[in-house]
Amino acid sequence: MGESLRKPTTRAWMQAWFDPRRRDLGTFAFVLNRITALGLTLYLFLHLIMLGNLARGPEAYEQFLTTIEHPVFVFGEYLVVLAGLIHGFNGIRVALTSFGIGVPYQKRIFVAMMVIAAAAGIIFGVRMLTV
Amino acid sequence: MLAEKSAPKTGENTWLWLLKIGSGLLILTILIIHYIVNHFIGEEILLTYDEILRYYSNPIVPIMEGIFLIFVVVHALLGLRSIVLDLRPTRAVLRVINGVFGLVGVVSIVYGIWLLVVIASRGSAG
Repeated sequence: MGESLRKPTTRAWMQAWFDPRRRDLGTFAFVLNRITALGLTLYLFLHLIMLGNLARGPEAYEQFLTTIEHPVFVFGEYLVVLAGLIHGFNGIRVALTSFGIGVPYQKRIFVAMMVIAAAAGIIFGVRMLTV
Repeated sequence: MLAEKSAPKTGENTWLWLLKIGSGLLILTILIIHYIVNHFIGEEILLTYDEILRYYSNPIVPIMEGIFLIFVVVHALLGLRSIVLDLRPTRAVLRVINGVFGLVGVVSIVYGIWLLVVIASRGSAG
């Protein structure tokens, strides 16, 4: 107890938060879920703000479309798709275990979901990133 | 063994927790349908302004998008709140967070529905 109550050094704090070694598969699932959640939420609000260009009329909107054709934005969009795939398919596992379904097999379900997400990610990659 | 299951967090109402899971499944379903209809059956291009007006002149589209918007915003904000809960906020901090997230949610949904109404009415007028 005394150990954990002491104020940790910056190094120990960084290790506790960011050292990927000796973590359980479930921890990676949790971290992936959270990182993709933050990215998708950021995208949601950017998306809502940017679609406001539709209200400003055809010129503003077409101008916005030309801007997002740039490869940087296409790649950003692809990251959003990947985040959505990971978050969505992992979410199926979370929903299942929430109702007590497949709890003993949830690691295997997680791996299977990530295989599906990766396969879909490759398909999207080919469709989005090649001209 | 209960800890192995996904369960409501301390400070998270069971109904909010269920809403988070239910909205998540609904969003996933709508996204998959949207993707198949718009990008496998339809053409793979960014819609121009006129095409969007035409698309939104069918009342089903703004209604579906409106429902989708509400569930996405609710899911995103409940999820952010879960992250805040993991950081063990004090009651006072949580109350502020509830207020801010509630406000952001209401503003986003009102703004989004306003945008849908603007686009839908321009389409049916023209």
